[in-house]
Amino acid sequence: MATLSRPIAKVGGLESTGGSASPSLLTRMRGWLAAWLPAIPLLLLVSTCLIAPVVVLIWQSFTGMGESGLSLDLWFKVLGQHVNQDAIFTSLVLAVGCSTITLVVGAPLAWMISRMLRGSRAFWLGLLNVAANFGGIGLAFAYMATIGTVGMLTLIVQGLGIAFDAPREGSMPALLVAYEYTNIPLFVLLTIPAMSILREDWWEAAQVAAATRLVFWRRIGGPILAPFLAAGWLLIFTWTLGIYGIAYGLAGQSGATAVHLITLQIGSALQSDVLLGPGRAAILAVVLMVFATTSLVLYRTMLRRALRWL
Amino acid sequence: MAVNIRRPAARDHGASRLARNLFFGAALFYFCVPMVAVLIYSFSTRWTANVLPDGYTLQWWQATISDHRIQSAFSTSISLATLTALIDIAVVVPAAYWSRVRNARIRPVVEVAAAIPFALPYVVIAFGLMQFSGVVAPQFQGTFPLLVAGHAAIAFPFVYWAVDGAMAAAGIERLSETAEACGASPFQIIRRVVVPNISSGLVTGGLLSFAASFGEFAMAQIIGRGLDTVPLWSAEMIRSYTDTAGSYNRLAVVTLLTFAVLFVLSAVVVYWNRGQTVRLLPGAAATDEGGRR
Repeated sequence: MATLSRPIAKVGGLESTGGSASPSLLTRMRGWLAAWLPAIPLLLLVSTCLIAPVVVLIWQSFTGMGESGLSLDLWFKVLGQHVNQDAIFTSLVLAVGCSTITLVVGAPLAWMISRMLRGSRAFWLGLLNVAANFGGIGLAFAYMATIGTVGMLTLIVQGLGIAFDAPREGSMPALLVAYEYTNIPLFVLLTIPAMSILREDWWEAAQVAAATRLVFWRRIGGPILAPFLAAGWLLIFTWTLGIYGIAYGLAGQSGATAVHLITLQIGSALQSDVLLGPGRAAILAVVLMVFATTSLVLYRTMLRRALRWL
Repeated sequence: MAVNIRRPAARDHGASRLARNLFFGAALFYFCVPMVAVLIYSFSTRWTANVLPDGYTLQWWQATISDHRIQSAFSTSISLATLTALIDIAVVVPAAYWSRVRNARIRPVVEVAAAIPFALPYVVIAFGLMQFSGVVAPQFQGTFPLLVAGHAAIAFPFVYWAVDGAMAAAGIERLSETAEACGASPFQIIRRVVVPNISSGLVTGGLLSFAASFGEFAMAQIIGRGLDTVPLWSAEMIRSYTDTAGSYNRLAVVTLLTFAVLFVLSAVVVYWNRGQTVRLLPGAAATDEGGRR
């Protein structure tokens, strides 16, 4: 990376013609522009559409709508409301449950697919890629068409004479089933490369040393794969917390009986919230930010640990 | 010494083979049935009582494709996604190039920015953007340009990762140094040296950001009020269930069309990257590079 530390030719020239010990403001400005100009459009986009919105939300969560200076009043009010506590709790439970199921199903799936012959491997990767593209409202609709009240599977099972009530569309089990449809493929696609790190010779070597399969997984396979799997779990956890489209499509159907989720609360607070106004949505958004940031930091740590084996 | 060497994946026992097949069978069932259900739904006349629909028809496909509102939703979504991809390419390429050849301090800034849409839910970003635009530019609220800017912001990491990876693979620092030594101007370098050498990254990044924008719902709903994109139309249909109007059948058609668009895009990306469906966990490449430097 020698080129990166190389001084900029033109600026160097300008500075030497200036000759003074402290370069003039104009020269400094020029140097700064030469170093940053091509990045300015991107930095503008990012600061107006990503950074400023985040800052505004944090600010609003402490000021309400800017009437009475900084205070924690709104925080106490919002976090004291039962519906918000419920939303935060349900979102966390759903995200933990979802990512754990994803891990339990996805890790063996990824392992077995990584050890398949080329043909069937390509088939499964293709199928998972297809499923990973199915999301949002479309997936919510697919859920209803499959195991909704008059969904295909519901009708088939009932047609067999079995009394079967599909989980209500806005309920936790329904959301779990629908979320896993994209979560498992994403998890498998992201962790399959890690599976190839575990080399066949290590298993052979372990066998020569008289290890059983259990010992191999406990002493070698497990420890090597664990950070990758943990990173994948964290990623799915973060993404599940933030899912909006599928939840909106499904929970919209059962109205009052639907679960409370942070994302749905933010969405509905925008449409009808006379009492606390957008301040409530701002606080819920900041709560989500805190969860996501913590999770991302842990994810990075895990990944750094995992990548020692590459 | 004769050692019976087996592969770690269980293949030998009958019982474990059965378990394996059951596992894969269940997975196949889980992933295929919803798609089949939507497909049948789009061709069925009425499907509320029996195991199979009462009858089959093409009318929903015809009605949907000739519906003006759906046509305009598709054209809005396509122009939104195209603009998003073009803007992202236009702002990311110079920044990524400059961070490689001149100013290494650009990289950490861009990487922190790329972590925002990666970690924060789009609902949160969209809500923040709505509040922020309400403060500085209320006249833009609910307009197409604001939604384009929002989509460009949340989709830029896809372009950045693809383009930056392509630049690393092409060894853009040396190429650009050589071009400079031959007397090329910065614009000539970008047009004649950088772009041709990172075309695979441009295509991949462009398609990924197009797809991200095309299927995006949360931001469109929150800051794009009054607009009619495909996901917004779908959301309206799924909420207004009236069997008589056949809204669910048309929703089935639109779901399949949306899915087809996204699937074709991802298939092109896979093909363009020579069959590499698989990528390491996001952020891994960057961390790895940092560790080795």
